[in-house]
Amino acid sequence: MMFRYGVAAVFMASAFALSPFVVSDPVLHVLVQIPLLLLSGGLVASRITISKDIAYVYLIIALVTLIYWMLPRSIDAALSSTWYDVAKFVSLPLLVGAPLALSWKHIHPVLRGFLKANAISMLGILAFLYIHAPIRICNSYLVTDQQNLGYGFFFVAIALSLYWSWPLIFGAPTQRPPQRTRSQHLSYEGTSSMSSHPAVD
Amino acid sequence: MNYSYTPQSGAVKFTMILSGAVFALMMVLGLLMRAAQGEWLDIEPELFYQILTAHGAGMVGTAGLSGAAVMWYFLGRHIPLTKAVFWIFLSLFIAGVVFILGSIFVGGFAGGWTFLFPLPAMSGGLWEVGAAVSFMLGYTLIGVGFLIYYIEVGRQIIKRFGGLANALGWQLILGRKTDDIPPPAIVAAAAVVIFNSIAIVLGAAVLVVSIVNLLAPEFEVDALLAKNLIYFFGHVFINASIYMAVVAVYEIIPEYTGRPWKTTRIFAIAWNVVLIFVMAIYWHHLLQDTVLPAWMLITGQLVSYFSGIPLLAVTAFSLCVYIRGSNMKWDLTSALLVISIAGWSVGSIPASIDGMIAVNKVMHNTQWVPGHFHTYLLLGEVAMSFGFMAWLVRGKNIRTLSGLDKAAFITYVFGAVGFILVFLISGAASVPRRWAVHLPEWILQDRVGTIFAALVVLGTLGFVVRYVLGLIFENQASGDQISGDQNSGDMSSGGQPSLGQKA
Repeated sequence: MMFRYGVAAVFMASAFALSPFVVSDPVLHVLVQIPLLLLSGGLVASRITISKDIAYVYLIIALVTLIYWMLPRSIDAALSSTWYDVAKFVSLPLLVGAPLALSWKHIHPVLRGFLKANAISMLGILAFLYIHAPIRICNSYLVTDQQNLGYGFFFVAIALSLYWSWPLIFGAPTQRPPQRTRSQHLSYEGTSSMSSHPAVD
Repeated sequence: MNYSYTPQSGAVKFTMILSGAVFALMMVLGLLMRAAQGEWLDIEPELFYQILTAHGAGMVGTAGLSGAAVMWYFLGRHIPLTKAVFWIFLSLFIAGVVFILGSIFVGGFAGGWTFLFPLPAMSGGLWEVGAAVSFMLGYTLIGVGFLIYYIEVGRQIIKRFGGLANALGWQLILGRKTDDIPPPAIVAAAAVVIFNSIAIVLGAAVLVVSIVNLLAPEFEVDALLAKNLIYFFGHVFINASIYMAVVAVYEIIPEYTGRPWKTTRIFAIAWNVVLIFVMAIYWHHLLQDTVLPAWMLITGQLVSYFSGIPLLAVTAFSLCVYIRGSNMKWDLTSALLVISIAGWSVGSIPASIDGMIAVNKVMHNTQWVPGHFHTYLLLGEVAMSFGFMAWLVRGKNIRTLSGLDKAAFITYVFGAVGFILVFLISGAASVPRRWAVHLPEWILQDRVGTIFAALVVLGTLGFVVRYVLGLIFENQASGDQISGDQNSGDMSSGGQPSLGQKA
């Protein structure tokens, strides 16, 4: 438990330490500092248990807050306004990282899979937007910097695809089919069967 | 029952009603286009291209829908699938169709089912940006539905078989001892889940990017990258529809041959090779894009050559082996399923020819290409779907192919073969595809094609009407049986309406 809090504190401190540097580099800002803030919140909350009934409320809070911080305008504001910067340091761990960690294990697996696939797709879209934008999307960064960020999104999308898909390829079964008789077993394994007709639901 | 689980037949049967009806409607649109090209019908070019767009999007979407229904049904025998997921998938699909139809017939969108950049954004005043956006939102909704479908299928396969590698038969390929060999349906489903999920994620990205470009044209799309992504998505998706529907062959044909379809080492290797090839084959659509690296073009040609071999050789060859000496019983189901494998196999030949760079330069924009993909679809995926529909209402007894069944089957196959041949001959004669107005020299082929198209529509109507009537009679029979059982006070056999008692 303490180790987890310690790592979270290190992440938060690292995010603070990066503050002077994120002013000139959107890659550090968006792909390093913000993930550190999310992870710090997530680590603190990861062992806390919540009721399944309110898990989706936490998920919605996390997603709405994340959407806000995906806007270039918000990133710009965090550089030009101290209040926005404070809001970033507070909201990303507490309103995104922590609620996401709290709700994640209660979310239906299909929705979890969808959110992951959507994250990859969205990172690809962001990569396109930042690489091809004809204007400076953030007033604080140069066009070349935002193009670097676009390529960063692209590489993160690839990395996440590999990281998330690897366990899907290899693993052990966690669920066996219902018990069958030996004769049924023999006729089932590795074959299609010769029986059967459309059955009702 | 030799299976662990019971398929969700209600949802699937409903989906097949939709699929059959839309197939028939889209074929009528195709018939109208051929008649217009043959000057038997006066259709304004603007409307022609709208119909062309609706026909393409509708056929591809319905092929995907029916393939998904087939696979869902048979996977339901091997893994427990969440019924709500299928309904979410179907709801998103229908919502997407509403957006697409609205964009075409209300908004006037006529940019083709491929929505290839920059055509949707450069309509020449024929449609507004909103129509193109609506079309792409429709695709996105359908894509989301399919993604949710694949996530559910994938997760249940992983729970049951412990990873997609096992489900793809890697244990068998590597020669390891295992007592849990996945059945053919699972091997096929695992491959489809992988390659079509990737296609859909990339497709969603290019769709949203295209929408951004439509709404804010300053965000310029790299045309070559967009073309790669669009064709990757489109080609993999339409291929997946066949790979999903072929599960019907693996699961139903054993009933007719009396020989179970086995997952052999060769079978597993073939599906694993397909998994790779199906994602690389789309390059044959880019053979005219000479700015692409030479290695991509050469790979596109080679993969186009080889992609048909593993799966078709295994599936078609296995089918011949299973049928030979089995006293195969022929009814509408088995006839359609066998012809579907034959059509799929034959359809790979014009595809391979068009996949040659030298041929592609002059043939790709001719009617040769619709000749190729109509073979895959009319005598492949669509025939599989109709075979599955016939099986759903067949009942327990296999009847011989006779009467109206025989007439519908012969009409459909004869019409389809003729329709396809006219396309191929026209393509070989350099008649362009996708043209609303044809030169006088091409009119004869168009009219012959129209007659064959009418036969296809007739055969299809026969299949669809037969299916709907089969469901109605089946329900009545079930209702009568339950009612009779209740009257006699005996619920032992009638508690569950038994489908297939009457057909």
